[in-house]
Amino acid sequence: MITGGRLEVTSDRPTQFVDISTRLQDEVTATGLVSGRVYLQSLHTTLGLAVNENEPLLLQDLQGTLERLAPRDVAYHHDDFTRRANIADDEPVNGHAHCRQLLLQPAFTLLVENGRVILGRWQSIFAVELDGPRQRSIALQLDGEFAPSGARAGACKNDRDRELVELELARQLRVDPESVQLPMRRLVEAGGKRLRPLLVMLSARLGPRQEPLRAAALAAAIELIHDATLVHDDYVDRAGIRRGRPTVAAAEGASQAVAVGDFYFAKATRVIAELGNQEVTSTVAAAMETICLSQMDDVRLRGLYPGDFDVYLRVVRGKTAALFAAACRAGAQLSDARPETAEALSQFGDLLGIAFQMADDLLDYSESSGKPRGQDIRERVLSLPLIYATENDRVGPRIRELLAGSVSEEDVGEIQTLVSASGALQRVGQDARDLATSAVSRLDAIDVDGIRPVLADLARSAVDRVR
Amino acid sequence: MTGQTEVRQTELGGLESVWESGMEDVYAFYRESAPPQVALAAALVESAVDLQRLGGPAPDPPQLLLGDLCLARASRLLAETGEQALQVGFAQAVERVAAAASAGSRDPGLRDLLLAAITGAR
Repeated sequence: MITGGRLEVTSDRPTQFVDISTRLQDEVTATGLVSGRVYLQSLHTTLGLAVNENEPLLLQDLQGTLERLAPRDVAYHHDDFTRRANIADDEPVNGHAHCRQLLLQPAFTLLVENGRVILGRWQSIFAVELDGPRQRSIALQLDGEFAPSGARAGACKNDRDRELVELELARQLRVDPESVQLPMRRLVEAGGKRLRPLLVMLSARLGPRQEPLRAAALAAAIELIHDATLVHDDYVDRAGIRRGRPTVAAAEGASQAVAVGDFYFAKATRVIAELGNQEVTSTVAAAMETICLSQMDDVRLRGLYPGDFDVYLRVVRGKTAALFAAACRAGAQLSDARPETAEALSQFGDLLGIAFQMADDLLDYSESSGKPRGQDIRERVLSLPLIYATENDRVGPRIRELLAGSVSEEDVGEIQTLVSASGALQRVGQDARDLATSAVSRLDAIDVDGIRPVLADLARSAVDRVR
Repeated sequence: MTGQTEVRQTELGGLESVWESGMEDVYAFYRESAPPQVALAAALVESAVDLQRLGGPAPDPPQLLLGDLCLARASRLLAETGEQALQVGFAQAVERVAAAASAGSRDPGLRDLLLAAITGAR
């Protein structure tokens, strides 16, 4: 059997290594391919494909190599529009990008075993943008043995859950006043992994009262709470970009960011109250309070930067994991699941939330994350790679010295290099994977009605964003 | 401090300074028409809107975060009452004030909205 489709990739820089490993694995999982091959083919003459290590400094080296072999600032015949026919008005000057594409691959094949794309420990799959920013398409064909349709029913149900959450989010936003709706839509439509709403939808399958539309309303409300905290956080952290788009504070101004965040805090609270489940209302309200207390804790602790592991764990458990845990617990409560099921899911969410944040910290060192590199250092945000690196005898003293004063852009670059050289990124990556495994083991004691593999996959994808 | 004896210390954790800077008086005002937990929730919502200067220039980050904590604690207190009409009414009040601030339109009057929610929930 053969099936196929398109993988859409968005770049936001002229040259960019976009890691598509997780998305490709998601495609394989969704189709149920157990054993076989995935064929990838770039549909553009200035988009290449590559398998290599997602290590920030190496990606700089690879970019430098492309620049040296086909420099942007030399003359290319292709760019002499006076000698070409049928030139479009928006024809780009991109001879260098076409030449660079010769150095990469337009297509390749990857092997799949036991439903997983086979990759070596350090291998990641990249779409390499050579003339961005642009919207790109990669053609996929999957060929081999597929799981029987019964086994794929779970995956199809997940797809339906995702679709339901997206529809509910769109429906919720559509009725809001434009002044708050438009900035929030920009954030919501920019994507995000929707982990928290998916946790709600999955947990809401575990009790006797299964009502997908009510679960979707709760899931969308949880996502809006998350997004509202991001809108306020971005003002506090002076972040200009979120999910590759301007933040509300940067685009509409700080006052608007405050109002938009407040509106969606309140709206989400109302949507949840209207569900009429007292346990759910209390679970989410308690989580919101924990998040706010931890956010204040986080800002207060920036004077002790970079902090230590215990401080980090306390803040992350409150700022990030509390909403993961609440999403799991509230979903279970909405379906009238047994208390021990809700408790086990909450523990799963707590550990997964911490693991997720650890993986998120690594993105500050990644070229392909869509976030500006070094932002956590500039804004003195607690970050585990930095904590581990400062414990390193070789580079720790120098990092502390750099952090002691006002940190220049040059200092940010040096700190990033030192952290990468210390082995801290690998240590954090391993910690995140171990925690995700530990999270899944919390489900052993309860009957999770066949969704254990889905939760395990979700946990894996949450921490595998950077390899 | 007339109201503090009936407000549990845990409900003011992290917000002692806000209580002393005027929330106590706001609480006393709402206490005339609502039980302690609801009156405190209303006072917290008013304090949040003041701290965050909705409709005015943006607050400093610490004030914004204090305001967020006020809103979250109010939600938790209302959740503990188990009264859905109050939870919905209070949330709608904040939605209306935030939407007006964001659109630059006339302030709908938070206190009136909260009192209406309290009265309507009876």
